[in-house]
Parts: sequence; C-alpha cells; structure tokens
Amino acid sequence: MKRSFYLILVGSLILLPLLVLTGPSFINPFRMDKIQWTILIRIRLPRTAVAVLMGGALGASGAVLQGFLRNPLADPYILGLSAGAAFVATIAILTGLLTFGVFTIPLLSFVGAVCSGVLVGLMAYRKGGILPERLLLAGVGLGFLFSSALMLLLTISSDEGLRRAIHWVFGDLSMADWSLLPYGLILIGTGFFIAMGRAKSLNALMLGDEVAHSLGFNPYRERLLLFLSVSLMTASSVSLGGIVGFVGLVVPHMVRFFVGADSRKVIPFSALMGGVLLCLSDTLGRTVFAPTEVPSGLITSILGAPYFLYLLRRRDILGG
Amino acid sequence: MEEVSFSYNQSPFIENLNFGLKEREFVGLVGPNGSGKTTVLKLLAGLLRPHGGRIMLWGRPLQEYTGRDRAKLISYLPQILYTNVPFTVEELVSMGLYPYEIMPQTSIDEALGSVGLYEKRNATLTELSGGEKRRAFIAMTLLQGAGILLLDEPMANLDIRYQIELLCLLRDLRLKRGISILMALHEVGLFPFFDRVVVMNEGRVVTSGPPSEVVTEGLIKQVYGVEIRIHRDARGSISIGLI
Repeated sequence: MKRSFYLILVGSLILLPLLVLTGPSFINPFRMDKIQWTILIRIRLPRTAVAVLMGGALGASGAVLQGFLRNPLADPYILGLSAGAAFVATIAILTGLLTFGVFTIPLLSFVGAVCSGVLVGLMAYRKGGILPERLLLAGVGLGFLFSSALMLLLTISSDEGLRRAIHWVFGDLSMADWSLLPYGLILIGTGFFIAMGRAKSLNALMLGDEVAHSLGFNPYRERLLLFLSVSLMTASSVSLGGIVGFVGLVVPHMVRFFVGADSRKVIPFSALMGGVLLCLSDTLGRTVFAPTEVPSGLITSILGAPYFLYLLRRRDILGG
Repeated sequence: MEEVSFSYNQSPFIENLNFGLKEREFVGLVGPNGSGKTTVLKLLAGLLRPHGGRIMLWGRPLQEYTGRDRAKLISYLPQILYTNVPFTVEELVSMGLYPYEIMPQTSIDEALGSVGLYEKRNATLTELSGGEKRRAFIAMTLLQGAGILLLDEPMANLDIRYQIELLCLLRDLRLKRGISILMALHEVGLFPFFDRVVVMNEGRVVTSGPPSEVVTEGLIKQVYGVEIRIHRDARGSISIGLI
C-alpha cells in the first residue's frame, strides 16, 4: 500500500470533525452558545453520520458489484434499485404523504429499492444462483422503466413538488435525523459484514466462475449472497438521503489504485473513502452557496470526476 | 470415469465414457473442436454433473465431496482466464490457500519459485506476458496442493517457445510434486511430450496409450482429416511433421 494513501486516509479522518463544525456559519467548539450546541448536536452531527454511512455503503457496494460482475463500469445504481426507490419516494413527495412522519420517505424508498432488487434478482436467477449478465441487463431494463415513470411523474407535477423531488433524487441529506441512524446502521452494517465475509470468494469470482469453483466456491451461491449484501447497503443508502451518484462508481477505482485489487482491502477502504467523500461533498453543498443547498450528488461528481480523470491519465486504473 | 454420459439440451453428447488417470501421469487429451475434451475436463472438475455413470475420486464419488474438499484434490484451469484484474502475482498465487482453514506447508515463495516467477511476485497480472500469466495461475494451483491438475488448452495464444516452456515446467512439476496432469490441447506436434495421449472424437475415446504407439498417420487423418508424416527413431520416439 502506498504511503500517499495513508496520508489521504489520516488527512480524511482529521478532516471529518472539521466538516462537522463547518457550515453556513463555522462553530467554534471552544466557544459555543446554546443555539450553536443545538445545531451541532441535532443537525450537523446526525447529518455527518448519515453522510458517512451513505457514502460508506455506496463505496463498499460499488467495490463488490464491480468485482462480481467483472465490470469496471458497474455502480450500485446499475441494478435499478435507486430508480425503484426514487419512483416510490417521488410519489410520496408529490402526494404529500406523511403516514409515518419523518420515516415516510426513507421507509417508502427502502421498500421501492427492495422491491426493485427482488425483481431484478428474480429475473437474473438461473441454475440456483445469480447470472452476472442477466443481473446487469435486468437492472438496466428495470432502471429505465422506473426512470421513465419518474420523469412522467415529474413532468405533470406542480413546481414545489418538482423542486423537492429533484432535490431528493440528487441526494438530499437535509432530512438527516438521529432517529434514522440506528436502522441505517443495522442494515448497512449487516450488508457490509456479509460483503467482508465473502471477500475471498469475491476475489475468486473476479478470476471467473470456473476458477472460483476450482478453488472450492459455489459461484452461484456466492453471487447471490453478494447481491443480497449490495442490495441491503444500496437500498438503505438511498432511503437515508436519496440518490448520490459517482461515489459507488469511482471510489473503488481510486482505492484500487492505492491498495491493489484484493477485495479484503478494497471493500473496507472504499467504505471509508466513500464516507469521507460524501461528507466533504455535503459540507461544501450546504456551505458554498448558503443559504441555498446544492445536492450532495452533484458535488460528489464535481469533486470526484477531475480526480478520477487525473488517476486515469496517470495509470490505466481499469486494469494496470 | 465409469460409464459416464452427458447431454446438452437433451441431446446425448458423451455416452458411456470410461477413462482413468493414474498417479504422476501426464496425459494429453486431444481431438478436434467439439470432440468433448472440455466437457470431459468440466465433468472431472465437478463443474458439470454426469447424467449417467459415475466419477470416482480416490474411491469416493466426486459429488460427495464438499467444494473445499474437492478443491484440495482437483484443480482446474479453464482455457479463458480473466487476467485483466490488477492482482499482484503474489496475491493471485496466495488464493490457492483459500480452500484451507489451516495453511498447508507449501509456501507462496516455493510455488512462485517452481514456476520461475519469484522475481515478479509484486508485478500485477496485467503487466505479465501471456506465458507468465499461465505460469502464475499454475503456481496458484500448486499452492492449492491438489494431486490432480486439469488444464483446458493452456497453450492457446502462446507462441511455440512458451508452449514448450510450459510443457517442460509441467513435466518437471509432475515428477517433483507427484501430481497427475490431464491437459486438453490441439497442437499435434506436442503429443510426444506426454506419457499417454487420449484421442477423442464425437464424444467418445477413439484410442488411448503412449504417443509412440497410438499416434499414427491414419489416426490423425481419421480424427482431424489432415495428412501428416510421423518419424520414428531407433528408440521408438516419434516426431511429427506437416506434409
């Protein structure tokens, strides 16, 4: 592992507490009044925690998915989960549905993502397991279907509803709340531990199903478990704060550039880098144009794309 | 393999095939495209299940082994290997230990040394030549410690130098490590390297035996439909030339 990666890692961990204090107004931790304390505890800290959790889930999901689909362009949203979540969440936003209070949008988007995941999984299921080509095609197909339906909804919606829905679709962490965190933590944590437990089989799957079988793994079963882990992490992430693009696609490539291809390193470091990147993006998004908030998903792309292109120029990160 | 049958989409492909592999034997599985070589290798590797007959491994049906236990006894390398993954040679080779809870005595360094890739242990797969990639995968199977190595056309896309280098390496490993090797191949000129050649055509074994005995001009014409000239020296060794 390169020394520069350790520096980035340590720098990121130092940066995190600073990001919590940064916002439209900087909070000095040594001279806080009661209002600032409330803002810190009730708004900034849960928001940072949600950003870290979401970014972590997307980074780890991207690493797993690119590995078992053997496709460097795969990202967690390619499975159509996000489109399903966005479709259901947009219906709730446009109709003003608040049956479950603050949990309404997260819960419904989670249900939308899980339903899409189940549909895609069923379409890709053959011979006792998941076939990668079918998974990819089913995900893309279903994603298009939900995205079209979403566009139709947005086209016929009112201005206010449209604004709120678009904000959510591009990643909206403004609704972050302590009450959501335990659920997110449990679901994402479960997905993450499944992925880490299957990291060796993921390495073997990257060499092809036949080599994985020769090393003692059942490729179909392993892919099913990995799909479950990705679905759990992606659905939970989308339900926490909408669709944040780029993290799941690019962070694993950045990490591989520094730590190599071993999934036992790529998954945890992608989670860490994803969390830090989203946290940084969210801080910039709510600070730079304050009081207007720019969706985090846009900032992740603006921040990450040039760095990704720089890495691509330095070395073919897609394969040496 | 005892009376093994296998069908693709209900049309019989292999019927009542009998075939065995002895300890430390280096066997070439030859035959034209579509003759059933890859199917036989996949059946032996447990990737395909026979529809009739049985495959025994050390006196026990192959299907009774768990994936891990089977991996400790048989390893299989397909013709097409996914090598566009930036694993280092050492990372790849160490995957050979995945079937084990407790690490066996064979060390990564030793496996790398056996295939002549010790110096390139930190290079990524994408930086290696075609021959080196094959050797890296073979080092992985050595670390896996399986007594039977099944190779599906490992010579494909290798030039003649790498082909001979690989065959010499395998022959050497068979003696040093006591492994049995079954290899599917097309290169007629390389038949003399094997202890035994099994000739397949249309899903059945046409003949089997030492290359000097079974490989004849008539057989090659019958199976491949081409004419070649076979030269035999005083010791009975053969060399093959195209007409």
